[in-house]
Amino acid sequence: MKRIYIYSLVLALATTTVSCKKYLDEKPNNAIATEDAIIDAGTARAAIIGTYDRLQGYYASQYPTLGTITADNVIFNGTLSEYLQLDQNAIPTDNVITMGTYTAIYRTINSANSVIAYVPAINDPLLTVTEKNKILGEAYFIRALSYFDLARGWGGVQLQLKPTADLNGLKGIKRSTLDQTYDQVLADLVQAENLLPEDATTRNRAQKSTARALRARLHLYRKQWADAETYATQVISNTKYALVKPYKTFFTAPFLSTESVFELTYSVNDRNGFWGTWYPSSAGGSFTLKPSDAIVAKLNNPQIGGTRSTLIAGTAPNIYGVLYNTTASSIDPSYVIRIAELYLIRAEARAQQNKLTGANSAASDLNIIRDRAGVLPTTATSQADLLQAIEDENNVEFAFEAHRWFDLTRTGRAGTVLGITNPNRYLFPIPLSDILSDPDVVQNPGY
Amino acid sequence: MKQLYKKGVWLFLCVFFTQLSFAQTEPSIKSRLTGRVLDAANKQPLPGAVVRINGVTNGVSADNEGKFTILTGQTFPFTITVTYIGYVTQEVVVNGSPIEITLKENIGQLNDVVITGYSTQERKYIAGSITSISSETIKDQPVAGFNQLLQGKAAGVQVLSNSGVPGGGITFRVRGSNSINASNDPLYIVDGVFLSNNDPVSSFGQQAGSNPIADLNVNDIESIQILKDANATAIYGSLGSNGVVIVTTKRGKRNTKGKINFNTYQGWSTAIKKFQVTDGPQTALLTNESKNNTAAETGVPATGLIANPESQPTYNRTDDLFRNARSQNYDLSTQGGSETSDYYIALGYLNQQSIVKPSDYTRYTARFNYDNNITKNLKVGTSVSISRSLRNLSGSDNNPQGVINSALFVRSYLPVFNADGTYARYGSFDNHLALIANLNNKSVGWRTVANFFGEYSFSPYLKLRSSWSVDTENENANSYSNTLISAGIASNGSASSSISQNYVYTNEQVLTFIKSFGKDNKHNINALIGNTLNTVNSNSTGSSGTGFATNNLTSVSSAATRSGSSSQSTAKLVSFFAKGSYAFDDKYIIDGSIRADASSRFGKNKQWGYFPSGGIAWRAGQEDFIKNLNFFDELKFRGSIGLSGNQAGIGSYAALGLWSSGANYLEQAGTSPSQLANPDLGWETTRQIDLGTEFTILNKRLTISLDYYNKYTYDLLLNVPVPYRSGFTSYLQNYGAMRNKGFEAAIHSTNINSGGFKWTTDFNISINRNKIEILPSDIVQGASGRNISILRQGYPVNSFYLYKQLYVDPQTGNAVYDDVNKDGKITSADRQIVGDAQPRFAGGFTNSVNYKNFDLNLFFYFQQGNKIMNMNDFFMVHGGTQANIGFVPRQLERWTTPGQITDIPRLTTVSSNPDQNGGSANNYGGNVASLSSRYLQDASFIRLKTATPGFTLPSSLTQKLSVSRARIYVQGTNLLTFTHYDGLDPEVSSQSANQNTAGYDWATVPQPRTIQVGINVSL
Repeated sequence: MKRIYIYSLVLALATTTVSCKKYLDEKPNNAIATEDAIIDAGTARAAIIGTYDRLQGYYASQYPTLGTITADNVIFNGTLSEYLQLDQNAIPTDNVITMGTYTAIYRTINSANSVIAYVPAINDPLLTVTEKNKILGEAYFIRALSYFDLARGWGGVQLQLKPTADLNGLKGIKRSTLDQTYDQVLADLVQAENLLPEDATTRNRAQKSTARALRARLHLYRKQWADAETYATQVISNTKYALVKPYKTFFTAPFLSTESVFELTYSVNDRNGFWGTWYPSSAGGSFTLKPSDAIVAKLNNPQIGGTRSTLIAGTAPNIYGVLYNTTASSIDPSYVIRIAELYLIRAEARAQQNKLTGANSAASDLNIIRDRAGVLPTTATSQADLLQAIEDENNVEFAFEAHRWFDLTRTGRAGTVLGITNPNRYLFPIPLSDILSDPDVVQNPGY
Repeated sequence: MKQLYKKGVWLFLCVFFTQLSFAQTEPSIKSRLTGRVLDAANKQPLPGAVVRINGVTNGVSADNEGKFTILTGQTFPFTITVTYIGYVTQEVVVNGSPIEITLKENIGQLNDVVITGYSTQERKYIAGSITSISSETIKDQPVAGFNQLLQGKAAGVQVLSNSGVPGGGITFRVRGSNSINASNDPLYIVDGVFLSNNDPVSSFGQQAGSNPIADLNVNDIESIQILKDANATAIYGSLGSNGVVIVTTKRGKRNTKGKINFNTYQGWSTAIKKFQVTDGPQTALLTNESKNNTAAETGVPATGLIANPESQPTYNRTDDLFRNARSQNYDLSTQGGSETSDYYIALGYLNQQSIVKPSDYTRYTARFNYDNNITKNLKVGTSVSISRSLRNLSGSDNNPQGVINSALFVRSYLPVFNADGTYARYGSFDNHLALIANLNNKSVGWRTVANFFGEYSFSPYLKLRSSWSVDTENENANSYSNTLISAGIASNGSASSSISQNYVYTNEQVLTFIKSFGKDNKHNINALIGNTLNTVNSNSTGSSGTGFATNNLTSVSSAATRSGSSSQSTAKLVSFFAKGSYAFDDKYIIDGSIRADASSRFGKNKQWGYFPSGGIAWRAGQEDFIKNLNFFDELKFRGSIGLSGNQAGIGSYAALGLWSSGANYLEQAGTSPSQLANPDLGWETTRQIDLGTEFTILNKRLTISLDYYNKYTYDLLLNVPVPYRSGFTSYLQNYGAMRNKGFEAAIHSTNINSGGFKWTTDFNISINRNKIEILPSDIVQGASGRNISILRQGYPVNSFYLYKQLYVDPQTGNAVYDDVNKDGKITSADRQIVGDAQPRFAGGFTNSVNYKNFDLNLFFYFQQGNKIMNMNDFFMVHGGTQANIGFVPRQLERWTTPGQITDIPRLTTVSSNPDQNGGSANNYGGNVASLSSRYLQDASFIRLKTATPGFTLPSSLTQKLSVSRARIYVQGTNLLTFTHYDGLDPEVSSQSANQNTAGYDWATVPQPRTIQVGINVSL
């Protein structure tokens, strides 16, 4: 009896051991193995959708925060010191918003890199060449936008152009110069423009004209005025786009107005709660970002703000920004490029090329924007005055979008306007944690 | 390996057979002795008691009814020796058959029976470090979780409540923190069931968490063993490195009459200290002073000054938070046994309110423990515990929309209500009264912990036990934010509902061999082999909705917009283990164990881990040369070394390269890379050395136990930061090492025991030094992105990373900080470690006095040297930089006049020159941004945790009432606290959801002071 029992025990133990490997093989049901991530039409589509999702990841709140609170339109009114640091332009290298944005942008790039690397090899009859090109074009565009956003925030960065499968292939990529980063953006935009389709309605996925619009902005940042004008004109002349009137139409649901060149769409299943950062607690928000007294005065001035006064609501001292306003549903889009920007890009490019007044001039473009807002035409005529007027117009037209800080830093005016005496502070710091973990990265000067 | 294992099993079994056949050799028979061995106190049989004729090598064991038969070559009369674990050995001269032998229980620390991993051993044979705690020590306290009650009761065990919320989370560490990203919690085993230690409340964003172990009724516990060193824990292999807490619940005893016990207590709790803020005029004055100081420096005229600061009203919000909270507890149990079976049945009810509104906790428990000896050799049994817990929670109190924050942070001159009578709200903050009245977060947990076992005795020496157990946790959490609180205003009401389930299945087989043999039974063997299959399965399904027609509809199904989510994960563990202990002559003990574990969480290349241990003990007190000293009643030295592992706390699929779903856009399903593959991911291993001694002196009046240990944890399961350009932020690797070494002492003293007067003292102290030995780079975290906690090589975990304020310049009133890199500037390079949250030492001190029917128990807990980050000061001593936040009185100590010595700098909001040391910007903002050591405080304290006078009714009276025993008592909890900490309570840890961010006090419910009256009755 004992023997039989013990024999069977041993047998049981042995059987268990043999079947261990299989027994211990567990897989999740809400994730796929990396090697199966992009292998056919379905996964390729999912991957590019995921890349847009990553773009939402840093555009929903982080990038617009970095582009606004750092300048003079928006002040800190909450409790979180990382916002205070940005507001005071005293950004330590471990500021969590700059760090979060930096990592989120590279996460987007990794997704785009994966699409660019793996989609061409897919051999699936369900994935037509047209669709393949569209997916690739979108990936190139998103990568271009990501590197552009890195460049204007942090300067020339490390150009990571291959997907990360493991950590071994990472070594040895140093920071590029600002020009090299912008060259990469340009190269990707050229590819994107080739590959992308164009239709009459799409505004929340990349199209040929989206790539052209970003290209106009890129040339503006690089002071390539003629190119900036050319590409801005290409977009403006596309009948798909038109300024909306009144001003608030573009940020009032339903979105995707004709004003929009590129915006990221949200839904009740994919929410954008950024409004909560702007609204006071009596309306359910945290009121961390608050319009400054100066911008409130400008927006409320009919000669400056005009109908753009609809960007704010409330009474002093609780005036708050309402660019993001879908408090019940949280479906505000992330505004990336509006056609108004293309007019102002062209205005600035024309002013720089001394096309100051008259038809097809800096002033005519500027006045289109002013007219839409119900403000009288500009009185500026000289190049300097016009450039100043365009800067001021940008300030109110894009009061709560990620423009002001980048406009002031690209033109070198942040010192004068914001009182930032140290030009090193025009760039955000590379996150301290990245400096510690990546031997190939060097910190921006002054940090 | 498989081959090796099979061979090992065979070898082991061969040894057994040899022993068995040896035992069966019989001499020629001259007389036949039959008898029974019984417990002297309750006349219960003692199965397994060994009866041996003196001078003869082998003996027999009593069966399940305590009966034995000896056939011997000797003739009556002869002397027999009867031994049984935990009982005094007895020699009896027998002159005829049958006989009845009664053994007395051996009371005295060193002779206790200790339940170790998979076996029961006499303490004297233990080479490892194990602390035993009886139910007496932790009974009748107004705390739901038994683990919380172990605070100060066991050397080497550090227990801290994270908050004063009933049923709230605790931090429990055995000999320090081993791990950074894997769990630091011990393994809890209740009647053989591996308990899940997941936070039972996954919703509501609880800052300090809830205690999963609170589901167990303390009243059902018989004893607790805490396994601390590698020798004791290695048998649990990969589950054991953080220590093992083995709980044995009460069981009936065979052949006893049914007994009924009833316990109840009623308690009243209040706050020891309440939050203080500056009154209206002071707040206005400070605000204006800050604006004026700033204007004077920048030359820009001040705006928004408060007119007539001294006539500002004061609205006291913080008093609204507190209440006199009630606690009540009822326990009813019965136990007893027939000739073949025994039972314990218990019901319990506990209800506790938090002293800060509106949280409360209610728990219903039921337990059924039953054993049946079906045949002489086969025993089956079960332990089943069912509990239902209801928690009313307030969400995160330190969120601007949390109850405490909205009362504490809002400026005191601002009215609570608007002119129209509606709730007023300011800045980011909600209205505290609105929250108290309308918060609706309810969590209902169902927990079943059940074990079924069968035990077959092949012989008195060889026993096989098969055990099947399950721990199921079900949580149904429902929350509704109506339109009267911030969270529901914008969305027209929002609701969420979720069901989370966590199942732990464990199956174990253990074959145990225990035998003494040889001349005078000098050889004593205790050995076992076994296997474990363990599966942990977690599921959750959640739904949420926004947009409600009215506040009276609160279910997700009533919402205009609804969405859902779900998740599931499964992790499996396969283990084999063996353990053996050999004692010679009651003096020399050597033991060893090994466990082999394979986990589904790990990479294909590193799935198996092997965890051996070995220990030796020398009972020097048994040596003649020590006996001759006539000083030691007992003296034992022991030493052990071994490995144990850890895999808890990391994801079920941590080793796989994955793309996650849910990365959706435009209502289309998307995927994105989420995790890099690591096929080499394997065990985190702790190597521990323990050296200890235990001795009893002064005629057994003083027992002292001392231990030194040194734990080195290597191959840490660590989220190693990777270059961000990879698209990932970290990669889970086996990298890094941590060391904990320390010393612990426990003293038990019977000071007086005469004339019905007994006074005993227990004292224990633990000293632990924790140090991160290897770390790839600093890891900072904590305080919502402020990164106040740091992990840095060469320093302990839970270190605080701040700017060290040297002084406030008496001339300028500006704060001057330590310029660490001496570059003349204050930048993030000047942050440094200025202390940590771990105590230098901690312990407990208990005095018990009994005189006739009176008893008195006083228990003090103390800890020294730990720092606490006072986040309330961090926010509310802000110098004017926080326009929407008020001040605490400490702000009034700010610098105002040249020559003044203070540590609170001049009020200002100047932000230029943030790099300048001693400049205005860094007083409260700038680069320092208030991350100053001035808010870090010493949190050492000594606390009279409990004081309990009791009175047992005289038996003359109880007999009249036909009860066998009745005791009434009064107990005070947290009556006295001695500390320099100026917050409400040094015993909180607001950021404990992350184990690496301990030691924050941030709008947290403090420990209450409770007075309770209770009665225990036995029928």
